[in-house]
Amino acid sequence: MASDESLPTLKILMIGPSGAGKSALLIRYCDDQFDNEYSTATIGVDFKLKKLSVHGKPYRLNLLDTAGQERFRTLSNSYYRGAHGVILVYDISNRDSFAAMERWFEEAETNAMPGAVMYLVGSKLDKTAARQVSADEGQRLAEKHGCSFCEVSAKTRENVRKPFVDIVNAIVKDPKLLSAGSRRGGTVAVGGEGEGWGSGCAC
Amino acid sequence: MESLSDTKWDVVISGTGLQHSLLALALSRSDKKILHVDHNEYYGGAEAAFSLQEVDEWHPDSSTGTFQNVTLWKDDADTSSQSNKLSFSRAYTLTLSPQIIYTKSKLLGQLVSSKVYRQLEFQAVGNWWIYNGEGPPLLKRLPNGREDIFRDQGIDNRAKRSLMKFLKFVVDFENQPELWEADSECSLQDFLSSRFQLPPHLQSIITALTLSLDTPGRTIVKWALPRISRHLTSIGVFGPGFGAVIPKWGGGAEIAQVACRAGAVGGGVYVLGTGVTNAVDDRDKERWRIELSNGETVGTKHYIPHSGSANGSNSRMVSKTIAVVSSTLSSLFVNSTEGSPLAAVSVVVFPSGTLHLEEATQDCPVYVMVHSSETGECPAGQCVLYATTLYSATSKPILDAALSSLIKSTECSDARLLYTLYYDQQEDISSPCDLAFDDRILENVEEQWKEAMGSEGADGSSLFMQFEERRGINPDDDNDDDY
Repeated sequence: MASDESLPTLKILMIGPSGAGKSALLIRYCDDQFDNEYSTATIGVDFKLKKLSVHGKPYRLNLLDTAGQERFRTLSNSYYRGAHGVILVYDISNRDSFAAMERWFEEAETNAMPGAVMYLVGSKLDKTAARQVSADEGQRLAEKHGCSFCEVSAKTRENVRKPFVDIVNAIVKDPKLLSAGSRRGGTVAVGGEGEGWGSGCAC
Repeated sequence: MESLSDTKWDVVISGTGLQHSLLALALSRSDKKILHVDHNEYYGGAEAAFSLQEVDEWHPDSSTGTFQNVTLWKDDADTSSQSNKLSFSRAYTLTLSPQIIYTKSKLLGQLVSSKVYRQLEFQAVGNWWIYNGEGPPLLKRLPNGREDIFRDQGIDNRAKRSLMKFLKFVVDFENQPELWEADSECSLQDFLSSRFQLPPHLQSIITALTLSLDTPGRTIVKWALPRISRHLTSIGVFGPGFGAVIPKWGGGAEIAQVACRAGAVGGGVYVLGTGVTNAVDDRDKERWRIELSNGETVGTKHYIPHSGSANGSNSRMVSKTIAVVSSTLSSLFVNSTEGSPLAAVSVVVFPSGTLHLEEATQDCPVYVMVHSSETGECPAGQCVLYATTLYSATSKPILDAALSSLIKSTECSDARLLYTLYYDQQEDISSPCDLAFDDRILENVEEQWKEAMGSEGADGSSLFMQFEERRGINPDDDNDDDY
């Protein structure tokens, strides 16, 4: 069994407007926890690691959260470096958050590497009573950008694994995308403990 | 949305240049409430990196005067070959800070101990070349260590002995003040000639290693010796054959962005396109009142202003040209040391007086950092040249001459200029005009950090840039999932 360090690492980003539920989804998926109390921003979460096997082959997911930099739309180019996939999250109970998605698609398409897989997620599926965006609208927006779509609830766990499993499936089908994210021979290790997290060979 | 003025800030930082971003990193594990703003719409300040479109939209603030005389030229020849023409805007990351980082710089240690190095990729600065203006060959590779000097047949034995004597001295110059202190204000050239009997071409080589922007006459011993020593002792620290690195994707710009993200992960709030229009020190309340360009007014205990130009007479100005070339210029990237990583950067030095122009004399040296496409700054098949010299009325034609001489001397027949961006840059306290990262920036950061931290910084309960791994890297968080 290969050690975790040597597994191919897939970098997947979460983006979308403040309060869309990005962190809730991430924390439910990685730690199976859910905090009912509304928190304005996510502090202290740089990235989460999660091992996921697809068709018997294990991958190490490196899941990055926006660290509050979505609030004033100040995500940097460097956030997008080497990302294989981008999960765009909006809140189905908030029309404005859905309306903002065009700009988030634009930002992701401008900054992510060519071929990176996008995935649209409508969150807070538990709030159907307050729903302001239909599943149909979400589906149509996803189709317009050539990506997949689902609705999830971090609170009830409904569909929580689906976006991650689906996006990894799409990424690993594209060998060119897989190798594009891996580090090449020219990288110099400056740290005492071997190379950084992205060093795993992704072949 | 909650407004910025509702928060009682501990620290407001204005500007996301490298120094200010490193401060945000240094404070990222404190419990301080930090507001980090930049009047630019982009990160990095004087160390920013741009796509082609961002260069088009770049209109440097003339009131601060850091950047002047921005002149853009694009090749409009219509060719069919891909590498022979400019690619799409985002295929380029042209950096305003192509500085190299010596492997002995404390910056690397701090990026490691603060754990942000994991988000950076470092690449080797490989060969150094010197242009002699007469040739052939026009470009000569600088010896990369003692073995290289022994093998070099272009240096006669007497000069070799003198050179070895100097190299042995310079790596330990601090312990031998009797050999140089009396000459500390002399020019390095005179010192090398009188004390070590080095012939002129070896004087040029040694002087090139200082990356001095000044004329040889103004490159003085006490300034030059530590730099030569740093160059020599840096070789081999992280592997054979190189002594300096650059971060992929735009050097200082990338470090600044990664440092700001660390600040955000720590709870710092980031606002771009918003500057500080006025700052009033309210001494009675021991707080600053900061007026922002978005109309809001915020209060803070500490205020780190956007740094102005360096104090008066010492402030220098450099001229720079960034050029995209339609060739890999592969002859500059030869692997000369066994086991050395593939270099992404080569340095080409044009000593004073080696470029011959009709309209000007080249008093100051010109340095060209050649970045291969491995840096992520341009598409495969091309490279980016960063040429720098001290500002003068004729610095633009001098830089042009350096670029065309460089291209000609590589004998790469496919090499053409596709794009050039010229500008003059005023030195800034937080962005010194130096082709290598200046560790004094870290001293400034530590000082500002101490002030903001107060007793926590002073009593040792928080250590500067020493952080644990963030949660998430812990293997316990891994759960095996079956599909």
